[in-house]
Amino acid sequence: MSTFVPTMTFHPQPQPGTPTPWAFPAPTRSVLANGLTVLHCNRPGQQLVAVDVLVDAPLAAEPTELEGVATVLARALNEGTDTLTAEEFAGELERAGATLDANADHPCIRVALEVPVSRLERGLTLLADALRSPALPEDEIERLVANRLDEIVHEQANPARRAAKALHAELFDSADRLSRPRAGSAESVKRIDRAAVKAFYDAHVRPSTASVVVVGDLTGVDLPALLESTLGSWSGDRAEPSKAAPVTADDSARVVIVDRPGAVQTQLLIGRIGPDRHDPAWAAQVLGTYCLGGTLTSRLDKVLREEKGYTYGVRAFAQPLRSAADGSGRALLAISGSVDTASTAPALADTWTILRTLAAEGLTDAEREEAVQYLVGVAPLRYETAGSVASTLADQVEQHLADDFQAEVYRQMAVLSTQAATDAVVSGFLPERLVTVLVGDASVIGEQVRELGIGEVTVISS
Amino acid sequence: MANPAPASTKGIAITEHRLANGLRVVLSEDHLTPVAAVCLWYDVGSRHEVKGRTGLAHLFEHLMFQGSANVSNNGHFELVQGAGGSLNGTTSFERTNYFETMPTHQLELALWLEADRMGSLLAALDDASMENQRDVVKNERRQRYDNVPYGTAFEKLTRLSYPEGHPYHHTPIGSMADLDAATLEDARAFFRTYYAPNNAVLSIVGDFDAEQAVAWVEKYFGSIPAHDGKQPPRDGTLPEVIGQEIRELVEEEVPSRALMSAYRLPHDGTREADAVDLALTVLGSGESSRLYNRLVRRDRTAVSAGFGMLRLSGAPSLGWLDVKTSGEATIEQIESAVDEELARFAAEGPTPQELERAQAQIEREWLDRLTTVSGRADELCRFAVLFGDPNLVNDALAKVLDVTAEEVRAVAAARLRPDNRAVLVYEPLATADADSDNAEEDAA
Repeated sequence: MSTFVPTMTFHPQPQPGTPTPWAFPAPTRSVLANGLTVLHCNRPGQQLVAVDVLVDAPLAAEPTELEGVATVLARALNEGTDTLTAEEFAGELERAGATLDANADHPCIRVALEVPVSRLERGLTLLADALRSPALPEDEIERLVANRLDEIVHEQANPARRAAKALHAELFDSADRLSRPRAGSAESVKRIDRAAVKAFYDAHVRPSTASVVVVGDLTGVDLPALLESTLGSWSGDRAEPSKAAPVTADDSARVVIVDRPGAVQTQLLIGRIGPDRHDPAWAAQVLGTYCLGGTLTSRLDKVLREEKGYTYGVRAFAQPLRSAADGSGRALLAISGSVDTASTAPALADTWTILRTLAAEGLTDAEREEAVQYLVGVAPLRYETAGSVASTLADQVEQHLADDFQAEVYRQMAVLSTQAATDAVVSGFLPERLVTVLVGDASVIGEQVRELGIGEVTVISS
Repeated sequence: MANPAPASTKGIAITEHRLANGLRVVLSEDHLTPVAAVCLWYDVGSRHEVKGRTGLAHLFEHLMFQGSANVSNNGHFELVQGAGGSLNGTTSFERTNYFETMPTHQLELALWLEADRMGSLLAALDDASMENQRDVVKNERRQRYDNVPYGTAFEKLTRLSYPEGHPYHHTPIGSMADLDAATLEDARAFFRTYYAPNNAVLSIVGDFDAEQAVAWVEKYFGSIPAHDGKQPPRDGTLPEVIGQEIRELVEEEVPSRALMSAYRLPHDGTREADAVDLALTVLGSGESSRLYNRLVRRDRTAVSAGFGMLRLSGAPSLGWLDVKTSGEATIEQIESAVDEELARFAAEGPTPQELERAQAQIEREWLDRLTTVSGRADELCRFAVLFGDPNLVNDALAKVLDVTAEEVRAVAAARLRPDNRAVLVYEPLATADADSDNAEEDAA
């Protein structure tokens, strides 16, 4: 092999300058006359204002036979008001250069508006109308129901979506809402009509149990007056906030193969339940999970991608499911990625080896240091836009966390020991408590996966 | 009430420098947040690839993360992330970009890293990296294209839209056979040909001192020699319209029927490109667009219906229609409704309200792109590399807002017609969503 002698002049790797102090922004709280809780945060320079409304309409509140009704309601909020038809409403939003997205998840319905600050009043007026008096037109509801039925067919064909559906069905108790698709099954969605959507709206959409987060360049904006004249016109009775039921799941080790004959890759989703953000070890778990599978230099990708080339990338993460102020909530801990079909069993074997080695030897101080530098150091970047700040503040409200939660996570992380991060990730990803879902060609991978001994294998059709 | 414009379209303050070796440097200070974005565009993309070596530009981009003279394998990721920064690289038809966003006090590290690989990649590049990243990229291809429904639609439409032998006939991901065929020597030759300071633009945007930044750039990049081995890409010029409809039927395991079409459109950087962007927005962007109202709301024949635009400067741009059918609706129903709407638009043009909405949407998207330092850094490189002048970024939005309804109608009449499109029809084989409008590939 020939050698290449660069002709450039090399200099030593530069040393960093002095860091500029940065802290996660603290929101200011207030309450409108109608009971709506407001959190706002001024971010100079951010001309696109993010407004996130959290409506206390959890999926667990859906009637079992009508699951999907929260999703249809969320989507219907965009379909016209007492003064605008669906087409007019969409047109008015676009004229304001605004977007309005609503979706229903386990904790609540979240409605997110993004609008240039110069048109904030118009954006807030449309948002308020959508919440206050949505038309919920019969024909549009029918269409949204039909669209959801079509969407289910598409989700079924997507390997990542299919894997998530299978994991939820396997992991959670069948009585728990978490075991079933967020947006409902074909059987339940078919039953949804305007009356069902209206009833769900009447029962759960009210300002007194809702919160709104407003973030952006609010310099010169009289926000209290603006909010009173827009979202303040939304009225409703008072009600007790909903209470989240504990998560019920069985994460004893087992394997489910969702058979996709001829698939060129296997989608992996390996998960269990673990502590949520209320747990004192949350920051340590975030740190440890990053070292396991947060980036392509983490333990999983170092082997699976950068040494073996089995995958474009595998990630480990924790995703809160349902949280409560008393700390009884849980998160999904998972490893996710896809590998070429022939590498399925070898990739799983390596994953289990990585987990066992981690448990036996722990993280190194260098790994911990690099992870802290990244997770804490990247915060100013991660929270550069109004939308990202609003979204994290909304997560905190939704999960019943203190307003300084994220700021506190950064403070804790900076001083966490390597041992604490090791303990959290090792107890989080115990090999004997992992439910493995594989979406791939069972005739090719089934036997080899059985031989791994990572749990009893069941094959289901896709 | 008038439609007041967002305030921050007032312009980005830019300074420019050029090193003796030809490296162009574009700087823009913004001290609101303690971060700085570094973006480096190399003027090379998949259009520079030759027959039998499709995918090489993108595979090469992966190799740029495998270390250089003073940086270990994956050292870019370790050092940048360990400094609290984020990074990646992407490859498109027309360029390859590499970017880091750093906390302010770590800006110098990003410059040192980029300079090291620009000047000394070949000192570290070896067979082990090549073989490993070949496998990674093949798995990227499987994950994003081959293993998802409709995953190869974009590749197929591109192949139909640009003739055999045209530099844009293939997409950046390349074919499995060509990825297998690429050799270490190909990669070395690619580096020697295209990775030179005089074939790149470096932009820095954010919280830094311009004088200090220029001194660092001079220090780290100044001694990297220029070279002139690069041949211009093959000519991508084509007639304004295709002249006949090109059609392909795909029978695959997909969840529903789909109609996808690619229309040949004006080159990026022209007034006609802005006009057609507005036409596509009125027709097919968002839930007040004509095609959404017609197909999804009224006819109920589609689950989704929309137009996208792939702006290209070295070849005709592509206007891409994507309709997924609902229930038992047929392609014939969809197609005749689409053609009716296109014909009506070509005759009447947008209403004043539609034009206002489309302009507001494009304005918001533009604001969104410029809201982060990394978004601004990328746009500065784009205008510098593709159009020669980064200052054009400050006129881009005004140009779109200046387009008249008649111009929008005229370009739609000239371009959005059946004899100027490639059509891909999906018919499901049995049971089987992921759209793949990915015109670029990421390293990670």
